[in-house]
Amino acid sequence: MDIISQLQEQVNTIAALAFNTIGTLQRDAPPVRLSPNYPEPPPTATNAAEDAANLAEQPQLMSAALVKAAKQFDSLVAALPLTEGGEEAQLKRIAELQAENDAIGQELQKQLEAAEKEHKQVQELFSQATDDCLNLKRPD
Amino acid sequence: MATATYPPPPPYYRLYKKYLEDPKSAPEPPPPIEGTYNLFGATYTTDDVLPSLEEQGVRQLYPKGPNVDFKKELRSLNRELLLHILELADILVERPSQYARRVEDISLIFKNLHHLLNSLRPHQARATLIHILELQIHRRKQAVEDIKRRREEAQKLLKEALGTLEGQQ
Repeated sequence: MDIISQLQEQVNTIAALAFNTIGTLQRDAPPVRLSPNYPEPPPTATNAAEDAANLAEQPQLMSAALVKAAKQFDSLVAALPLTEGGEEAQLKRIAELQAENDAIGQELQKQLEAAEKEHKQVQELFSQATDDCLNLKRPD
Repeated sequence: MATATYPPPPPYYRLYKKYLEDPKSAPEPPPPIEGTYNLFGATYTTDDVLPSLEEQGVRQLYPKGPNVDFKKELRSLNRELLLHILELADILVERPSQYARRVEDISLIFKNLHHLLNSLRPHQARATLIHILELQIHRRKQAVEDIKRRREEAQKLLKEALGTLEGQQ
């Protein structure tokens, strides 16, 4: 895939990671303690331990993925083959290359015509020679 | 079940009756369209240019000007994006009801990023054209060299054949 499409894909990946991160954290965050008067809700005994473990490591994992994606984007930007000079320099180079291409095309055409002429000559002479051979004439 | 017959073919085929004998007796094909045209009720334009951000109602975060330094702007937009994401996370912790402004900022940064990348495409197209022209020039030079070499070889063979024939006589 070319570099610009890769950059676009990377931007979309960063967007997906960002909203997945924020969404997951928002969905799984435990409720906030509003005031010291209200007691804490009773902890559910079933899977409190592994929930707490997940809650601790999930933000780390997700933020690490996000930062890695951003670093990847930076390295892709560094790999952009952007030459200085901009549009005019490119257009000038295109005009030069077109002129050179035309000149070479003309020369190629000339060589081709000369080669075809020689080819026709050789063919004619060869057919003459074989005719003479068939009719047993001496070559002049 | 209601069916409709296909529409008949356009009646222009009658004009091409004598095309094989006289190609000029039939009408020319229509010239290419310029400007805007209507197709199935929608208007299209032949001039495909990337609309600038202002035309889409989006604020432009990177400086305008003839030559934008794409790498620098892309990198700074990337950094700003990460900062905004952190800001959003902080806001959700402290004042959760004010998320909307931050989310808008993040989507603005994304729109700018995509617009920058899209404006790199014409540059890529011209670079591809340059590459193709260089390849073509190289191939043509090769072909010219090839033809020259073959002609010389053929000349050499003919001279040898002539020499052999004269030697035989």
